[in-house]
Amino acid sequence: MTFHSLEAQSVRVRSRQTASPGGADSLLVQPVSLTLRPGHAVTLLGETGSGKSLLAQALIGTLPPTLVAEGEVLLNGVSQLDQPPAARRALWGRTVAVLPQEPWLALDPTMRAGAQVMETRWLVGGLSRRRAWQAAREALRGLDVLAADSRLPGQLSGGMAQRVAFAAAQTGDAPLLVADEPTKGLDVSRRDQVTALLDRHVQAGGALLTITHDPAVARALGGTVVVMRDGAVLEQGPAAEVLFRPAHAFTQALLAADPEGWPRRESAGAPAGQPVLTAREVAVARGGRTLFSGLSLDLAAGEVVGLSGPSGCGKSSFGDVCLGLLEPESGTVQRPAMAPYRWQKLYQDPPAAFAPKVSLRTALMDVVRRHRCDPAAISPLLRRLGLDEALLDRLPSQVSGGELQRLALLRVLLLKPVFLFADEPTSRLDLLTQQETIGLLTAAAREQGCAVLLVSHDRTLLDRVCDRVLTLPAAA
Amino acid sequence: MIRTVAGMTAQRWMGAALLLTLLGFGWGVPLVWSVDPAKQDLMLLLTPPDFDWADGVTLLGTDHLGRSLLTRLASAVRLSLGLALIGVVTAAVPGVLLGMVAGWSGGWVDRGLSLLADAVFALPGLLLVLLVLAIAPGSFIALYVGIALLLWLEFFRVVRAQVRRLRQAPAVQASLLLGLGPVLLVRRHLWPELAPVVLTLAAFGAAATVMATAALGFVSVGLRPPVAELGLMMTELLPYYEEAPWALAQPVAVMVLLGLSLTLLAGKDPR
Amino acid sequence: MGALINGPLPRLLLARAGQAVLVAVMVGVLTFVLVRALPGDMAYRIAAGRYGFDWVSTAAAEAVRQDLGLDQPAPLALLAWLWDLLRLDLGQSLVTGQTVAEEVGHQFGHSLLLAASAAGLSLLIGPPLGALAGLRPGGVLDRGLLLVAVLMRSVPPFTVGVVLILLLSVQARLLPAAGSGSLAHTILPMLTLALCLAAVSARVSRDAVAGVTASAFYTFGRTKGLGGGLVFWRHGLRNAGVPVLTYFGVQFVGLVEGMVVIETLFAWPGIGHALVHAVVARDVPMIQGAALAMGLFVVAMNTVIDVVCALLDPRGGPS
Repeated sequence: MTFHSLEAQSVRVRSRQTASPGGADSLLVQPVSLTLRPGHAVTLLGETGSGKSLLAQALIGTLPPTLVAEGEVLLNGVSQLDQPPAARRALWGRTVAVLPQEPWLALDPTMRAGAQVMETRWLVGGLSRRRAWQAAREALRGLDVLAADSRLPGQLSGGMAQRVAFAAAQTGDAPLLVADEPTKGLDVSRRDQVTALLDRHVQAGGALLTITHDPAVARALGGTVVVMRDGAVLEQGPAAEVLFRPAHAFTQALLAADPEGWPRRESAGAPAGQPVLTAREVAVARGGRTLFSGLSLDLAAGEVVGLSGPSGCGKSSFGDVCLGLLEPESGTVQRPAMAPYRWQKLYQDPPAAFAPKVSLRTALMDVVRRHRCDPAAISPLLRRLGLDEALLDRLPSQVSGGELQRLALLRVLLLKPVFLFADEPTSRLDLLTQQETIGLLTAAAREQGCAVLLVSHDRTLLDRVCDRVLTLPAAA
Repeated sequence: MIRTVAGMTAQRWMGAALLLTLLGFGWGVPLVWSVDPAKQDLMLLLTPPDFDWADGVTLLGTDHLGRSLLTRLASAVRLSLGLALIGVVTAAVPGVLLGMVAGWSGGWVDRGLSLLADAVFALPGLLLVLLVLAIAPGSFIALYVGIALLLWLEFFRVVRAQVRRLRQAPAVQASLLLGLGPVLLVRRHLWPELAPVVLTLAAFGAAATVMATAALGFVSVGLRPPVAELGLMMTELLPYYEEAPWALAQPVAVMVLLGLSLTLLAGKDPR
Repeated sequence: MGALINGPLPRLLLARAGQAVLVAVMVGVLTFVLVRALPGDMAYRIAAGRYGFDWVSTAAAEAVRQDLGLDQPAPLALLAWLWDLLRLDLGQSLVTGQTVAEEVGHQFGHSLLLAASAAGLSLLIGPPLGALAGLRPGGVLDRGLLLVAVLMRSVPPFTVGVVLILLLSVQARLLPAAGSGSLAHTILPMLTLALCLAAVSARVSRDAVAGVTASAFYTFGRTKGLGGGLVFWRHGLRNAGVPVLTYFGVQFVGLVEGMVVIETLFAWPGIGHALVHAVVARDVPMIQGAALAMGLFVVAMNTVIDVVCALLDPRGGPS
């Protein structure tokens, strides 16, 4: 069908269980109006829980059965919300292509990639089997992943899976493309590849709706930007306006929280402290495969060193070698004679680093009692890290990820560490929380004279906060 | 403030209530009616239940030898649950401890223990109990040994797998880096995760014991008459199913309730 | 097909071979302990089994004693015992005097007929019902099935058999309760075993289907534009089928346990029935032969399942 427009007029989302249908407070998404047109990109920008995914699902009819959309959704001027579900499902794949959030999970693990691309063209697009295979191979070649054709998803790299899912999502001519967090967990170069693909769709005359937390994606795509928080639209307008002259304080803070906008660190003229770690010609192997070799590093007290590199290159393994958790394949790591508990680690997933059924106060007091620390040290540290004392009586599952990561930092700081390995400590956090957490982490470490090895897939972030950055090459 | 017990669903509460009722029946009946479950009365063969609360012999009727079904059922419940309890406890203690040791230490300790477990696991469970029982037919001790030999395995396998997983988890690694000792590791990390699983396995193990005991009794290779045992009672009453269906129905009903109570209490299968 | 050569299958087959050896050793050790624990003079009993009761003499018993190493110290005797077992030299039945291999082979045919028909019937009942329930978790069928499954799991199979006898044979007088030789005789034991198996496989299928339909790739299949039936056919069936089949292998353990009791209940002349008889008669060679046959049957069936899974799942078999 020819696509002219998809128009949302005061679209709202609420839970079906809600007792009072009129109450504005029961809405998960407050009224939103926007229009998608051929050759135009619309980007929903916001943090976790802002309602941006729900809004997109309401527009294309993929809301879970417990939720309901209200207002008006017009496709080419025809009202959609009162259509039977079967009629809306008939649009999927043909008029609307939906790009999945995590492509690795979205591909059938037991079916070869080519067949998953081909079936859309065959069973949805209506091509003959032979033509569908041809079209699938062409699509894969066009995305430069023809090699994936006869492989299973488990044998694809993240970037290949991303492009295979991109090809599988479309019959080739669906005019409207919806992409939900297409760059989640990708490093900058892969993120730019994905935004380029999305942009190609717009340039070819398609309409694009992107949901993202990353202002850089919104900036690259241009078009219209809609900023959301807590289920409500804060501001919307052309990207050039919203992203460069934001009117709302939240948008300003969000843009400032993007590492691109962080102030550059004054060049570290600080005198280097005592050496705490000397690594010489370290090589690390996992599962019989050498990830890297010949890596040397000197760390002095109070230094913050970044560690970057593509995923799977051995960043975490190197940190574990520094901590003595992993034996290097070759090379040496020297650490001054000191109690072993003064080498510490922060984990990527804050809840995973705490015992789930033990209150945070108990978790901290265990450490205090074991090492006879001064319990009075907890209160000032809580204040220093901007944490409320009342949080301590909760379970790890009852506080936010950002708070939990700061509590993990607090637990570690109680032991006056000389070396802290921070393994992607903010990759699961929102931008604003990330900025706050990284700021506190580096500042507190510098105050205590603790050396930090900070891992991140975001090179810009490392450049902004670290004294120097070490880059590992992709594993052979 | 009402404290809710973690992981206790309505289903599990129902199982617990049913089990308590059965325990009350098994140990309560002899307190009220002092009738010997083995005492035969040839004047009262297959007397239907008269529901006379004063008479413990005929309250639920009598069997083909004129024995009181009421006290025989109570005795059978005591036997099944008693055997289940000691069987599960003797299997759980070494099973959990060895599972923790194997899962935590890895290496040759783990390989040795796992080989032993695989050897026992290779045989279907009932076959194992049957072969042990063949050494001393009709012996309570042999039945108990066979069942304990079978049950420790599940505890060992599940606990070992859980501990291996937890050993690698960031939370445990963090605690090791923080210098916390083995007592705290078990109290904070291992036991809170293992306890619900062990309780579930214990309930499943008890159900397996009750069922295996009845199955072996039913095919006349388990405990021997005149012991009151559910499977044995069913075999004995099966020839009379036309004259006294109510008699056969009683051990069947108690078997269903016993199995149901333990399966409901167990909750979700962790295997 | 590459998975058959390079995948994890060879390792799995090796593990199954190891399991078969472990079964033989376990059976051997337990029956050896059994022989040593028997009261009376074992040599006389075995000699009676070999040569008939009329021909037992001190000389014959002495020959048996030499032959079986009954006068050797226990560790040596155990090795000799296991060596005979590994050569599949199972001896003769103490009761009938026939060779154990012959007897077991004969009974095993009967058991196989019962097991295969029960397993087949359970596959027709369990997985389809479970899959339907899994497509609508929380629906009427799902809840009803859960209730039935919990009830069936709570009782040993023979109780189900007794209830079926009472209902179909005594009340309705539709079917004969015991014996063999006709189709009608097969129905009750087969139905009993099949219902017990189906109760579990329906539950497993339900969970597998519910898990797959909730997965990201199933949702993606739908938003790609595949209709409900197509997406189940292309992405549901195979992904849910592998765990169901794997579990079907585990169920053979239950099938063997069921055989022991159900065959006895229905007087079915199979291997389980024979084992129970041998235990009662303390016919050690028969105990050993029957237990070995049943243990190896479970291992063999699981091996078949491994291969089927490897063919079905291009990732190369169950993980």
